[in-house]
Amino acid sequence: MRARTRAVVTGVGVVSAWGWGREPFWDGISGGGTAIGPFSRFDHAGYRTHVAGEVPPPPSSLPEAIPGWPRLSWADRFAVAAAREALAEAGLLAAAGPSPDLAAAGLFFASSTGGMLEGEEFYLRLRGAAAGRAALRWIATQPVSSPAEAVARAFGVAGPVETVSSACASGTIALGRALDALRSGEAELALAGGADSLCRTTYGGFNSLRSVDEEPCRPFLRERGGLSIGEGGAVLVLETAERAAARGARVLAELTGAGSTSDAGHMTAPHPEGAGAARALAAALADARVEPAEVAFVNAHGTGTPLNDVAEGRALAAVLGNGAAPVAVTSIKGAVGHLLGSAGAVEAAATVLSLARGTVPPTAGRGELDPETGVDLVRTARVAAPGVAVSLNLAFGGCNAALVFAPAAADRAAAPAAG
Amino acid sequence: MEMTESRGSTNGGAGHGTADAGLALRLKQIIVESLNLEGTEPEAIGDDEPLFGDGLGLDSVDALELVVALEKEYGFKIRSDEIDPQAFASVASLARFVAGRRAAAGGPAGAAAGGAAVAG
Amino acid sequence: MSGTGGSAAGGRVVVTGLGLVGAWGLGLEPLAAALLAGEPLAGPVDRGAAASVPPRAGRGVEVAARVPPDLSLEPWLSRREARRMSPPSRFAVAAGRMALGAAGLPVGPGAGADPPDPDLGVVFATAYGASSFTQGMLDQAIDEEPEAMSPYLFMESVANAPAGQAAIHCRAGGPNETLCQREAGPPAAVGRGAALVAAGRARRVLAGAVEEITPLLLSVLDRFGALSARPRPFDRRRDGFLAAEGSTLLLLERDDDARARGAEPLAAVRARGGAFDPTAPRNDWGRGGAAVAAAIARGLAREGLGPGDVDAVVSGASGARRGDRFEAELLRELFGPAGPPPVLAPKRVTGEYGGAYLAAALLALAGRPAGPAAGFSEPDPELGVVPHGGGAVQGVSRVLVTGSAAGGSAAWVILESPGTVQR
Repeated sequence: MRARTRAVVTGVGVVSAWGWGREPFWDGISGGGTAIGPFSRFDHAGYRTHVAGEVPPPPSSLPEAIPGWPRLSWADRFAVAAAREALAEAGLLAAAGPSPDLAAAGLFFASSTGGMLEGEEFYLRLRGAAAGRAALRWIATQPVSSPAEAVARAFGVAGPVETVSSACASGTIALGRALDALRSGEAELALAGGADSLCRTTYGGFNSLRSVDEEPCRPFLRERGGLSIGEGGAVLVLETAERAAARGARVLAELTGAGSTSDAGHMTAPHPEGAGAARALAAALADARVEPAEVAFVNAHGTGTPLNDVAEGRALAAVLGNGAAPVAVTSIKGAVGHLLGSAGAVEAAATVLSLARGTVPPTAGRGELDPETGVDLVRTARVAAPGVAVSLNLAFGGCNAALVFAPAAADRAAAPAAG
Repeated sequence: MEMTESRGSTNGGAGHGTADAGLALRLKQIIVESLNLEGTEPEAIGDDEPLFGDGLGLDSVDALELVVALEKEYGFKIRSDEIDPQAFASVASLARFVAGRRAAAGGPAGAAAGGAAVAG
Repeated sequence: MSGTGGSAAGGRVVVTGLGLVGAWGLGLEPLAAALLAGEPLAGPVDRGAAASVPPRAGRGVEVAARVPPDLSLEPWLSRREARRMSPPSRFAVAAGRMALGAAGLPVGPGAGADPPDPDLGVVFATAYGASSFTQGMLDQAIDEEPEAMSPYLFMESVANAPAGQAAIHCRAGGPNETLCQREAGPPAAVGRGAALVAAGRARRVLAGAVEEITPLLLSVLDRFGALSARPRPFDRRRDGFLAAEGSTLLLLERDDDARARGAEPLAAVRARGGAFDPTAPRNDWGRGGAAVAAAIARGLAREGLGPGDVDAVVSGASGARRGDRFEAELLRELFGPAGPPPVLAPKRVTGEYGGAYLAAALLALAGRPAGPAAGFSEPDPELGVVPHGGGAVQGVSRVLVTGSAAGGSAAWVILESPGTVQR
């Protein structure tokens, strides 16, 4: 097979309910507890549920370090902070002003909400349901593309800047676009990620579908009662392997494959057998040129809804099950919630960190595993087995998307990498 | 099933009679209105016709939309665990469910003893 | 910029079908007639609806290019199928089936098979998503209570609802992506669709744009000073764009599949690319047109092309004051002292959003007359662009379609006539 450009990850930044940073995130999801709980992002009296994965207040240094902070939406802030952290880790954060490296870089982003929270504030004031003027600044950050634009503006990105808004698969699809851009030569450096904030529309909307658990969600467990909404963002720095090697950058992991499909079945319910998800997973593995047996663990979509966890379990079994023990599966949604459009980005970050640090984080939640899901659920942190990792998402509206990550080349104990 | 005209509300909790027919017809109207079933006459929906799957062919999202409309119409909350295939199978079963909830809450002319707690 | 030329899997990526829903009605011919007539497709919008921003707070523009409310989408979409769909979903499903039909492919349930076609993908761009349904949910929360929010409205309020409905009703089981890139969406979606085919991730893709304009959205745009009832792209007196809604979708596929089916391509997608202007304020255009032009030039060079190989430009210029200035800077830098080839600015008729100006590019490649540059009477010396007015542009084999967004994003595609020999 002909050689392809390889895409490696050289920086990761995360903002989550565990806090503003990659390390609080990793420590939090590794510890097995949950950061889902009471929240105050908006007044939720009158909603059916009252917990979410809310990002805590930022460290005081951050609003000063990020120009224009007061005018940014929360989603913008999560995006810029995560990008800043990722660029710093990658050694690409300029001391002041834009980094020359980013002039030709691409930015492939994801969001479901953009500045929707702030847009709701505008509308409530317009309707007289909240005090104060319906000032334009509330609606100025509304577009779903706004967080990506804020990142591009903040760091001087001048290559292609795109935002995917395909519900829960957005972040995964955005990473797939970054992979394609690097392979095609459209860019040698790409930022990929996503950001979302809590807002009434999504919180109330998922409640209208009776999909939200009153308790923090319990992915794959028998007692699960629905999802928990979360907020935050993540950004990964990706570049060609050649470029990373040439500048001596430390490689955290390699993005080797992507695949996406549509169930084309129902707008809210997944295919009961996870057929579309299985196809996306198979496509990603084929794209990565790896066999199912090489998958060491899966960072699952695992929302905690009765339907998703069974459908997803069936998809995983259909593609990865080969008579041997089921592959290790974990979901971080029990810890940080479902970040909607940016879920795929945050979960890709978790997958990269898992490979780089050699540990698969546990799935938060107490109770019995639901045997109908058929998964080998990681309940306490495990040493990662040799092999590649998969990140999978099944979206509202029927999109499914999967990514394959491999350990950084020097760490690989498995068969030689493809490509 | 024979349709009888409503002759005004009587004991809403009673098992038979014109009040039931009135409730059934109102439920059919709510179904048609809230679910955008243009071109379907409420009267054409059979009391025992399956609403989901076969019959009217509604799905889970239709059920939830109908729940919102019922909550608004009758002023009680429907818990998630009450949204089940038995209660929502047909207009007849829905009418029994609604009548039961109204009676329990001290609804129109129904026997009431302080009412069961309305589901949150 | 990346190539979708001969090195792609299956040969070139070609356009074999087109579906259109907009203020002109359905299909290409009514739109072509409107472009020929040259007048903006503006119709009145009742902004007095509850909760609109008071007209006095903006310039008071009360027109938009909206899909006629009584427009039947039959035979492409029945009322029964549309039962739970938001307006943008209806536009997109109708346009999608129209495009598939025009390409000679099965159009959906009743004409196609179950399960879905794993090789048919969807890439839609929208700037604002399903505005009316989102607003409806918030009204329920305000006027009744949060628990009264409707599942129907939520299900269709997500930006990817049209793409999800298109997948269901066009039986598209392949990659399904919704882009939010504001005014740069249409060429970005076509470019991404072509890239999916070139990369072998799909054999065919429905690619394009969908938009819905509501009284509230119109009011907000007006309050930002963005709108005009009389858009005058590149004119000295330009004062804004005409807001538009609808859907324009292209069916893109592998050239070898098209040949095997005997389908006549309308065009080939020769190249695509994107860039960002970091000087752009969050809701306006910046001064970075020259840098974006340099990115286009680099992309053309990688395809073995130069600016001299472009026979016509179908510009995203809409009449926006700074938007048109950005476009003009881009064209000036890209084409140098010789100046650009004929520049068409179809948004003077079609308005902004919904992607209809993509169809104008296909018409130009087909040698159809472009229509007058109505409303253009006074060139802007700062811009130096005089749009082509009237008559067909002769000898067009290659069209550059540009799109640039408030907030800084830009995207473009090169469409080639099918007979053009690959270089």
